[in-house]
Amino acid sequence: MFAYYLDLALRSLKRNRVLTALMVLAIAVGIGASMTTLTVMHILSGDPMPGKSARLYFPQLDPAPADWKTPLHPRPMMDYRSAMDLWSAHRADRQALVVQSPVKVLAPGTGRPPLMLMMMSTTTDFFPMFDVPFAYGGAWTPADEAGRAHVAVISSDLNDRLFGGGNSVGRTLHLRDADVRIVGVLKPWRPTPLFYDPVGGITGSMTPTGFYGRPEDVFMPFLAGLDVNDGNFFQYTCWGSGPAKPGHLQDAPCLWLALWVELDSPAKAAAYRSFLDGYVRQQKALGRFAHIDTDMPDLMQQLDRAHAIPANVRLQTWLALSFLAICLFNMVGLLLAKFLQRSGEIGVRRALGASRPAVFAQCLAEAGLIGLIGGVGGWLLTLAGLWLVRRQQLPYSDLVHMDMPMFASTFVLAVAASLIAGLLPALRASRVAPALQLKTL
Amino acid sequence: MRILHQIRPILAALRSHKTAVMLLVLEIALTMAVLGNLVFIVYDTINRSHVSTGIAESQIGWLQNIGVVGQDNPVTGAENLAVLRAVPGVADAAYVSPPLVYAQRNPLFIDPSRKQPVAQVYEFQGSQGLVDTFGLHVIQGREPTLDELPVAATVTSDAVFPVLVTQALAAHLFPDGHALGKLIYDGGGNPMRIVGIVDHLRGEITGRVDDDYAVVTQLLLGAQNVGGGFTIRVHEATQLPQVLQAAAIALQKANPGHVQNAALTMAEARESYFRNALAAGRMLVAIMLILLVVTALGVSGLASFWVQQRRRQIGMRRALGATRRDILHYFQMENLLIVSGGVLLGTLFAYALNLFLMHRFELAHLPAHYLVVGALALWALGQLAVLGPALRAANVPPVVATRSV
Repeated sequence: MFAYYLDLALRSLKRNRVLTALMVLAIAVGIGASMTTLTVMHILSGDPMPGKSARLYFPQLDPAPADWKTPLHPRPMMDYRSAMDLWSAHRADRQALVVQSPVKVLAPGTGRPPLMLMMMSTTTDFFPMFDVPFAYGGAWTPADEAGRAHVAVISSDLNDRLFGGGNSVGRTLHLRDADVRIVGVLKPWRPTPLFYDPVGGITGSMTPTGFYGRPEDVFMPFLAGLDVNDGNFFQYTCWGSGPAKPGHLQDAPCLWLALWVELDSPAKAAAYRSFLDGYVRQQKALGRFAHIDTDMPDLMQQLDRAHAIPANVRLQTWLALSFLAICLFNMVGLLLAKFLQRSGEIGVRRALGASRPAVFAQCLAEAGLIGLIGGVGGWLLTLAGLWLVRRQQLPYSDLVHMDMPMFASTFVLAVAASLIAGLLPALRASRVAPALQLKTL
Repeated sequence: MRILHQIRPILAALRSHKTAVMLLVLEIALTMAVLGNLVFIVYDTINRSHVSTGIAESQIGWLQNIGVVGQDNPVTGAENLAVLRAVPGVADAAYVSPPLVYAQRNPLFIDPSRKQPVAQVYEFQGSQGLVDTFGLHVIQGREPTLDELPVAATVTSDAVFPVLVTQALAAHLFPDGHALGKLIYDGGGNPMRIVGIVDHLRGEITGRVDDDYAVVTQLLLGAQNVGGGFTIRVHEATQLPQVLQAAAIALQKANPGHVQNAALTMAEARESYFRNALAAGRMLVAIMLILLVVTALGVSGLASFWVQQRRRQIGMRRALGATRRDILHYFQMENLLIVSGGVLLGTLFAYALNLFLMHRFELAHLPAHYLVVGALALWALGQLAVLGPALRAANVPPVVATRSV
């Protein structure tokens, strides 16, 4: 039956080519515009740690004094003491402190000019916790960490630039004024969004790229990193008199560090929450804290709260969806005209015994077919749209491509939209009174 | 007048096509709402891309030269500035980063306890010569003299910095007009005393009122070597690219240990600041134009269908004495009525959409003239779309009426 309807639909589409072309065009434009922005949204709002993000948490507290009034509660970053207290308690399955800073990097013996790169000072759990892949070597040991060893892990990108992509483990980098031994080289790693920086690169970097930049090029043990790059750390915010020595924030009333924890079961997450609350209450009792607000969003909640997706992308998505709506209204009108034009034919089919549902189904089949053809056009337009997005110099331009789910969604959306658009016209067509139509034939 | 007499029968006829008419009205209303808001957003972006930052942009370039205090940098900060000033063509140089390139926004307080921020301001902190390099216009008070500037190497945290603020910020902080001499405080730094007021200095151009809230602090650079952004102003705007390159080379030569990252003219900075917004705007407008064509074709398609459906009635009217012109006007009038309905509803939709966008995306209020232009555009589009079908209707011969009745 369905094949017969499709055959009828094809014949009907061929009969009025202009009207058919108009409808296909309408669907294609609407789908092309909305799928372009939806694909960008899909890429930007993806889960950077699929399968694991629900176990990664971002504990927050508020160390600011009572009279320091800014609207954010609790704070997106921590002071040194709170962060160190929580980290060294080791209450989570894994825990990592993170802070970025710009550092001057020179590779002795390569003859290359010094580079200004972003360095991540973190603790060794960072690598297994965020599933960071290694090409050579591995993470530093907890002993390196405690001993403030001058060791580093470098990105695959930097390894390519400095050492031609070879195994550079054991070689020395000159970080600012310190000699640092390379212990690990990463494979290409590009978590999108770059979730672990809670404020999207607004501290530390000269050119913030939001949540879609690349990870840092150099990773050092937390305390050793603070030593080596002392004076080059940026605060998220400070109160009181600020840091006595700019860029040295360990003893300053400043927020500048973030802590991530991995908690492998909901029970452990609940336990960590109460640990966090206990810590904050204890600090308040000691007079160090004024507020007892805490929070512990998981990774995806944190990205949502940080408004990782740029506002203009969200705006464009709304606009594109309204384009699709206009195209749909257009299509409803055209389908109505098309179906009612054939009132006579429908009357004959009804008189010959076709039921109303049969006529309804036949009309919907036709609408679906238009959607499918429009989907092909929409797919091509989406590819063109994504090409345009790639040509813009956005931090995430290189990530924009159409994957299988979005390819499939293009056609699903196109057919679904046309079926919805076809509902009303098909209903009207199935209500055609056969007798009246036959009389006027 | 004859056209007006037709309105009643047109309305009566439309009543028997309620669904199709409602669809058209809704489509036009939606088109108008989206069109109005979209054009507003894009036009606003274009307008913003021409707003001045208040500095002498055509003559200004920026060098990012990052070094850190260390033995490998033999040149002092003051010497770096001298090196830059010695480059032929350079009028002035300062250690500072210009607007749009690196603008830091901080809370500002007017009470020393720093309890309640009164504004978010862009803080431009740099070396001596900043005001001249930017080419700022001091309209009230004066620029602090070199002797008054705090010495960067020896400054203590309680020293009061003499600063300049923008006119807009002065008026916001002290509506009574007596800003000069007052103390202000940022989040963590030294107390600041307002000694002068400049006309404009916008850290960014977002369209917010507080774009023009800025505080300018100059510190006297001496023996210490600082890396970071150096801004230069050249004598001749046309020579900026060449002079900027020469300045970059001179600075690199003086500081072999520094990292040279970027050299950027303000024109380039502005272009890159607005590039994405403008590109996205162009793309949206292109889609909107295609959409208007699709809408026009849709209206035209539906009108054709109606004409075809009513061939017999048209023939009858013609046989009863209606002229071709009457038939033409009938369909034009019908279209005008439907589009007008859409425009009325579209005005509501446009404001609703604007409210939604204002709420979600901090957009400004949609000015009424965008709706007037949108309405005119849709009326014109509707008339254009209906012209073909209406002409075809006018050509229906009266003899159709006598057939198959």
